Amino acid sequence: MQYFLNGLPLGAIYAIVALSYSLIYASSGVLNWSQGDMVMLGAYLGFTVVQLLHLGFTPALFISMAVVAAVGVAVQYFILRPLRERQSPPINVVIATLGVAIMARNIALAIWGPDAQNFPSPVSPAPIQIGVLSITRQDILIVVIGILLMLVLHLLLHRSREGKALRAVAQDRYAAVLMGIDTGRSDAVAFATSAALGAAAGILVAPIFFVTFNMGAGLGLKGFVAAVIGGLGNIPGAIAGGFFLGVLESVTGGQISSGYRDAITYALLILVLWLRPSGLFIRKNRQKV
Amino acid sequence: MKKQTMLAVAAALTTLLLPLVVTNQYYLHILNLAGIYTLITLGLNLLSGYTGQVSMGQAGYFAAGTYVSALLMLNSGVSFWVAMIAAAVFCALCGVVIGVPAMKLSGPYLVLVTVGFGEIIRLVILNWTPVTKGAAGLTGIPLPSAFGFRVVSERDFYYLILFFVVLGTYVAWRLANSKVGRTFNALREDELAADSMGVPVNVYKIAAFAISAVYAGVAGSIYGSFAGVASPDNFTFDDSVGFLCMSVVGGNRTIGGALAGAFILMFLSEALRAFQAYRLVIYGAILIFTVIYMPQGLAGLMDVYRRRRRPEGRP
Amino acid sequence: MNRKVISLFFVMALVILSALSLTGYGSAQTQKTIKIGVVGPESGGSAQLGQGQHKAIQMAVDEINAVKGTGEWKLEVFFEDDEGNPTKSASATNKLLQQSEVNIIIGAIHSSATLADMVITQRAGIPQITSGSTGSSITEQNNKWIFRTAVNDEFQANALIKHAKETLKVQKVATFTAADDYGQSGAKLLAAAAQKEGLQLSANPTYNNGDKDFKPQILAIKDSGAQAIFMWGLYTEAALIAKQARQLGVDVQLYGASGMAALKLIELGGDAAQGLVLTQSFLPVSTDPKVMEFVNKYKAKYQDSPIPHAAQAYDTVYIIADAVKRANSVKPEELREAIAKTTGLKLVTGQPKFNPKGDDIGKNLLITVIKGDKFELVKTVTGS
Repeated sequence: MQYFLNGLPLGAIYAIVALSYSLIYASSGVLNWSQGDMVMLGAYLGFTVVQLLHLGFTPALFISMAVVAAVGVAVQYFILRPLRERQSPPINVVIATLGVAIMARNIALAIWGPDAQNFPSPVSPAPIQIGVLSITRQDILIVVIGILLMLVLHLLLHRSREGKALRAVAQDRYAAVLMGIDTGRSDAVAFATSAALGAAAGILVAPIFFVTFNMGAGLGLKGFVAAVIGGLGNIPGAIAGGFFLGVLESVTGGQISSGYRDAITYALLILVLWLRPSGLFIRKNRQKV
Repeated sequence: MKKQTMLAVAAALTTLLLPLVVTNQYYLHILNLAGIYTLITLGLNLLSGYTGQVSMGQAGYFAAGTYVSALLMLNSGVSFWVAMIAAAVFCALCGVVIGVPAMKLSGPYLVLVTVGFGEIIRLVILNWTPVTKGAAGLTGIPLPSAFGFRVVSERDFYYLILFFVVLGTYVAWRLANSKVGRTFNALREDELAADSMGVPVNVYKIAAFAISAVYAGVAGSIYGSFAGVASPDNFTFDDSVGFLCMSVVGGNRTIGGALAGAFILMFLSEALRAFQAYRLVIYGAILIFTVIYMPQGLAGLMDVYRRRRRPEGRP
Repeated sequence: MNRKVISLFFVMALVILSALSLTGYGSAQTQKTIKIGVVGPESGGSAQLGQGQHKAIQMAVDEINAVKGTGEWKLEVFFEDDEGNPTKSASATNKLLQQSEVNIIIGAIHSSATLADMVITQRAGIPQITSGSTGSSITEQNNKWIFRTAVNDEFQANALIKHAKETLKVQKVATFTAADDYGQSGAKLLAAAAQKEGLQLSANPTYNNGDKDFKPQILAIKDSGAQAIFMWGLYTEAALIAKQARQLGVDVQLYGASGMAALKLIELGGDAAQGLVLTQSFLPVSTDPKVMEFVNKYKAKYQDSPIPHAAQAYDTVYIIADAVKRANSVKPEELREAIAKTTGLKLVTGQPKFNPKGDDIGKNLLITVIKGDKFELVKTVTGS
């Protein structure tokens, strides 16, 4: 049971990254391979704001989300838009965003150096005992804020005009164009939102797990795995997939073998995809013929 | 016609005589590495470019090729050639194993399965210490010998690698222009149509995986002897991504693209050393630039250029 | 359409421009110069080690040249990044040998990279010194060109286990090591040492570098009843492990080795890192004048405290300088001989002396403990 609890905070972060992948995939039909690095950028910006500018945690959160959202829009504008105009195959988007990831990582290395950084969390890291189980306030904070962010996203998608446009584009891009929806703008919104979410995840994670310039690589891959588990493009599925992956890693790592842990995760994943090719949490196989 | 044959002969002569003129060991080393990577890209092009199944796990087959071949040579004393054949067979089997779940998948789901496979292989190599020596890796991998002649220096390896690149390119070219190749193309363009025409889609898909695996396995086998050492650090997800980049940048729909991609990216990453800390930033930028403005890769660019030179009417 | 042609020219221009940089720096040397090539991970996961090595070596070279420490000889140094990847490391070594025509290689840090480089240096007959690789197989290759000035893993493992047995009187121990060559080597040596001292190894999980969550393995260790945990890896993960262990209520003694010995460990680990015992070859707060001098100079130049890898690399340059002076030649065979015969030097990390295999057996071995915001000396282990 303790393993289950332990898997939650990391699961929340995977969920946010997975969500971002699915959001972008659903609305733009592409894979943004630099998703994990948005988390890294957000975390480093948080570090700069808190430790170097001596502002608090909350300003760090908002400043970081704003700046990284701008980066997300830049990626959409300078990279996705030209690729769309040339009707490039989807693999090119993956490679291009990969290029962004490589650049982001090494620019971060040049700016902030090779050492890990962190900044203090707004809540105490001391563990709380509930019977035989223990959890820290930080863990709870991550999960709570994570869920809050997802709720906010849900509201945005279903109540705001931009959100409705996004969902329309996700359902049928061509029809959306015919209805006069500016798909370039909805793409930008999708990228900005995902980036901001990633940044928030980074700020949440930094006090606990520290920031390193290449943490985006691992997170990007795991987030992608989680998104696929939940069914790529399916946002609630992505969230479920993220938590599922976090807990799965925790349980297999502790109970079975820590060396082969990732191998087991991937083997299970392959098995799942073989049996249910559209992901675990998708209800119907909506085959686009 | 005559001009083309003359060019071809000149190119062939240059390639054959190159190491006699270029004595710089560093350049030869880079050329040799590029050649090894070309084999991987050839296989990947057949898989991704022709059949349309993207793989981000070629490093797994590459690793398998290196380790199977090296372990056989080190533990059972077999010759390089026997070891390579064994490695190729093993990799073909791996390709089939991955091909089976991959059959039903497409797009990102397929990518994930290939990633998973590549990682599983790397983790097994890393953790199965009694056999693979884990992270410490293998050392003293034996050198190949052909007809009593030992392949030792960079120059010797150049010819060995050249042989395989030529062989690999020829096989790929024949394959691409055969019924099999056309079927691969059909699968990429419209799988459903191919299926309804009675094409055994699944068999061809699995075959594509197996073929790409064999190419990577042979490359791995050569690499083991070339580097003399092997460790899981060489076969990471980042390396798989690197191979995919070579495939895409070169142009993954053509055979020539495989050659171009491997050589250009290899030279680029070495040449960028001059920029020290900003090396990788520039590399990333070039990657982005290439992929946006040359969507069919460098080979695609050549294609466009060639087509422009011939005005309408001529094929 | 025009854009495509322009972009093609752009890419070709870039490639050609940088290809020009590939051409050799062969310059006519009127002064006696020894060219040192350095290979290390200046980017990628171990960038902190490679960059530390780079800075220390640059500082040493500048210092020695300034005071003409090598007599008539001048030191020249060339750096290449291997990203921690063995293939790239071999290419980098090749480039240094061929293009920069170096007389000796310092490299690499990852054992797998060093081994790959050794194939090249052995073929070329050029000496190679690694100041960062600790894999035991490096000096077991019957390769006379390789030397190692990194502090020996085996001595560290033995010293740590002995400390646990004698000072804490524990009986059950656990290892928690990185799943790379450094960690695997440590795990093996710790297990052997534990067996020799009659201690029971109750758990030995591993982790991947870059992992953030270690609680599953920590719980497994807790369940196994271990009375001390021996970590073997770099500081980021070690700090996280310490924190998460305390969060889970695991209060047993934590041990570590020189790979994680950096002030960052204390900074990131906070309260959880207090009392952590680790071995290193070098203590930034030591009262040894040589150490203090090095630390102060490094801090003044780089606004950062040096890590053990930096100290070891710094000493390596001094060893090379001394050897060149004695041999009065950069011919490979003579240089190698001179290095092998090194004696009488008092450096930051010890008094170097190479055994026939190439290992430096004169390295200091210090057992230190984290108290407050620095490392304190517990014991100096002499003799090997």
